[in-house]
Amino acid sequence: MSVEVLVSADDLTEMVDQVWLSYLDPEGIDPLVATGDEKQPTEVHAMVSITGSWHGHLVYASSTAAARKAAAGFLAMTVDEVGEEDVTDVLGELANIVGGNVKAMLPDGCFLSLPTVIMAPESASHHPSAHRISGLYGQWAGEPVSISMWQSVKPEAGK
Amino acid sequence: MKILIADDSRVMRQIVTRTLRQAGFGDHDLVEAADGQEALDKTIAESPDLVISDWNMPEMTGVEVLRKLRAAGNDVKFGFVTSECTPEMMQAAEAAGSAFFIVKPFTADRFDEVFSPILG
Repeated sequence: MSVEVLVSADDLTEMVDQVWLSYLDPEGIDPLVATGDEKQPTEVHAMVSITGSWHGHLVYASSTAAARKAAAGFLAMTVDEVGEEDVTDVLGELANIVGGNVKAMLPDGCFLSLPTVIMAPESASHHPSAHRISGLYGQWAGEPVSISMWQSVKPEAGK
Repeated sequence: MKILIADDSRVMRQIVTRTLRQAGFGDHDLVEAADGQEALDKTIAESPDLVISDWNMPEMTGVEVLRKLRAAGNDVKFGFVTSECTPEMMQAAEAAGSAFFIVKPFTADRFDEVFSPILG
């Protein structure tokens, strides 16, 4: 089955690089380094859903340590000061920012949901009737971080 | 001047606040709203000089807040800081009377460029 990839891993990389440069690595010394390891384990994840002219999900996943480090960066705190609410809020915001940028590349008439945050591995969430169309898998200071796009299968295609 | 920051994300309200400070606008009074309804209510109650609003918020979207304000004759300077940026959204924002459209992620330089003409 051929699937039109509207947002490629390179596109995701470009968006994520902007997030890192704006909030997590303004000096460009601590980037997210792509490894392509789709099987790397994650411990927490956040997602936004897109509906309308395109249906699917954008999932941001990472280790707990990477999530705490991201929260510290976003909130200008030390990692020790970061609480669970800080982690969930920042994970949601990461999914929201990348999801919003993704939406801009999709056909007109898409809607972005508010984010959902799950403090469990990405494998804990299933996306029925959806398949992954692209993903960025990498490490940030040695910790796993990934951003993946899942496209829902059109109902008529499943029949 | 008084600035209202409307975003359902506490993190993003904090980042907007910090970026305003980094861009040299840290001396203004800041008021926060955590959803669209609160943004509308506080804009009416607090009469800010500028509203910096998210687009996608619970209760009411940012553009719905702007439309309600304009329909009520309120001409506060109002614009968007949002992760979503499509031509149709920008057109809707402009048609509703938005003064600016900043896409997340943003930098202090971008804030300076947009807000210097407004805040002086």
